[in-house]
Amino acid sequence: MGLRIGDAVKAVSPATLQRTGAQAFLRVLTGVAALISFLIIFLMLFFLIYYAYPAIRFNGLNFLTNPIWNIGNQYGSGVTTRNGFSGPPGASFGALVFIFGSVVTAALTMVVAVPLSMMVALSLVYRVPRRIRPLANALVELMAGVPSVVYGLWGLVVLVPWIGQTFAPWVTAHFGFVPFFGGSAGSGNGLAAAVFILALMVIPIMVATTRDVILAQSNSLFEASMALGSTSWQAMVRAVLPSVRSGIVASILLSFGRALGETMAVLMVCGAAINTFPQNFFSPVNTIAAVIVSQLESALTDATGMAQRSLAELACVLFIITLLVNIVARGIMRGADRREGAHQ
Amino acid sequence: MRKTLVLALAALLLASMGGRALAATDLLETGSTLLYPLMNLWVDAYQHGNPNVQITTQGTGSGTGISQAISGVAQIGASDAYMADAQMASSPMLNIPLAISAQQINYNVPGLNNVHLNLSGPVLAGIYMGEIQFWDDAKIKAINKEYGNKLPHTQIVPIHRAEGSGDTFIFTQYLTKSTPSWKAGPGFGTTISWPAVATAVGASGNPGMVQTCQNTPGSIAYIGVSFLNQTEKAGLGYAALQNQAGKFVLPTEPNIAAAAGATDKATPPDERISLIFAPGENSYPIINYEYAIVNPKQSDPAKAAELKKFLDWSLSEGQSSKFLGAVHFLPLPASIQKLSRAQIAKIQ
Repeated sequence: MGLRIGDAVKAVSPATLQRTGAQAFLRVLTGVAALISFLIIFLMLFFLIYYAYPAIRFNGLNFLTNPIWNIGNQYGSGVTTRNGFSGPPGASFGALVFIFGSVVTAALTMVVAVPLSMMVALSLVYRVPRRIRPLANALVELMAGVPSVVYGLWGLVVLVPWIGQTFAPWVTAHFGFVPFFGGSAGSGNGLAAAVFILALMVIPIMVATTRDVILAQSNSLFEASMALGSTSWQAMVRAVLPSVRSGIVASILLSFGRALGETMAVLMVCGAAINTFPQNFFSPVNTIAAVIVSQLESALTDATGMAQRSLAELACVLFIITLLVNIVARGIMRGADRREGAHQ
Repeated sequence: MRKTLVLALAALLLASMGGRALAATDLLETGSTLLYPLMNLWVDAYQHGNPNVQITTQGTGSGTGISQAISGVAQIGASDAYMADAQMASSPMLNIPLAISAQQINYNVPGLNNVHLNLSGPVLAGIYMGEIQFWDDAKIKAINKEYGNKLPHTQIVPIHRAEGSGDTFIFTQYLTKSTPSWKAGPGFGTTISWPAVATAVGASGNPGMVQTCQNTPGSIAYIGVSFLNQTEKAGLGYAALQNQAGKFVLPTEPNIAAAAGATDKATPPDERISLIFAPGENSYPIINYEYAIVNPKQSDPAKAAELKKFLDWSLSEGQSSKFLGAVHFLPLPASIQKLSRAQIAKIQ
């Protein structure tokens, strides 16, 4: 992380590059490339906010705390006007249900996927016999390459009926005393289905990246730990995993982002709740990404355009949540590094 | 040998290029997924007799159909719902009915899927508002005397469309017209603010509605009649609905035609009218016109001419039961065909 573009340029330059001219050129080129990545993020956010501005004024701060999403009566007469901007009569754009749904599904996905992925990655490196390792690796990569709508379809046809008719009734009957596991077993469409589908989709990403950072680490840590008398479990969990912590955090971040943004597969199995929060693990939910795509069709027929702009405002919120998650995670990592530095 | 092959290929290439140069006119139809299968049948048949026009069809959703017809991307925007006054004011479009569709209320109540339960607007509104929660509710029993003790104490799962849809539009219009408390509350639209019911499920598209209803014992769903084959295959029951006259009627051809016949005189020249909850003893209460949304001022005169020809054809030969029957639509009554033709004549 402490590496600067200049350092990289210096590292390749001495032998191969013709002194100053080429060096300066390369420096400018890489500088521009780096700038573009910032610029794209900035422009996207700028465009979203610019487009959503009327909605931001129309909805006010209420947008973040209001659980009611109602695009209003498209066929009514007159308009509702707030702060100088007008929307359809009766419109009420509240994002709370969707913000809650996005964050909770993504977080629960991590709860399911992180331990599983760590175990799979460790076994791929240390446990799976060498002969079938290429096959196992290929399978993980294949899973990562399956289009999300395929997972969604499988979820709708196989997973949802299984949850609704077998898994949820069993859990509510035997573990009903655990908070959020009791109550109605529902139809299968809901939080549990969304979490399982998302976990299936992020596990291959997490496994592949974790496996690669472990492989990039030299084998000596594992061997040294074993030599000191630890069991292989202890060597893996206490020596190997902490040494690749930043790589793992990066892969979790990537997966969390994927879970937050995944749209079609979630929309197909989440039960598309509106105006209502999940009562338990099996209740319908909705996420920001899913609601944007499902409401767009109707928003297009809104003559005032406020419904479309409110969807753009939702997109802004999703963007900001993703940014916040990134910043917070980076902060945690930096803090951990500093503490470690102090120990040494 | 090889030389002849090359020559043949070259000739083929030339021929295909020549063919393309002749087929100068491209038309794009996009929108309603209910109308999409019919459009495909129509276009396929039409192009056999008219090789010089290339019509592309897309099932994207009514909202997209309307907005792309307005923006000029598509020449025909297919929609299950007519355009609202507010949108007509900013972009005046022709709303041309092409056929009549209906909607079934499907349910999955084990043991009762092979019979037709009676349901009314107020009972459906009660279900979708969360006031009627079990199939053996007194209000359901009261209109289903013969199955009174067969109705199970199963929780009702009301399924609605997750995305904007013409089906939601006509279903909620039925509730609005038949039930004052629904009119005062959620109202109607292609997407509405559904009452907070913990068991309610949103499903995507008509296929998603069929799938979810089939998977979920105790569920109820509203599904376009063009999916009749699929709902029957899924073993779902469909209800007899209470019409304005108070009778419970099934979505059969005579009952749909009766409803269409009861509303044709009321249809204004711009043909934007709801056919829901029509008067008459036999009128099935949830039917609608399937619309082609067309900009009266086309930018390309050649396209305008071909567009008029195709739309006129869809109102004459296109009304044959060999097309409409396949998707369980009904032809327009003669007086409505006349109104539609008058609108088509306005295209420039």
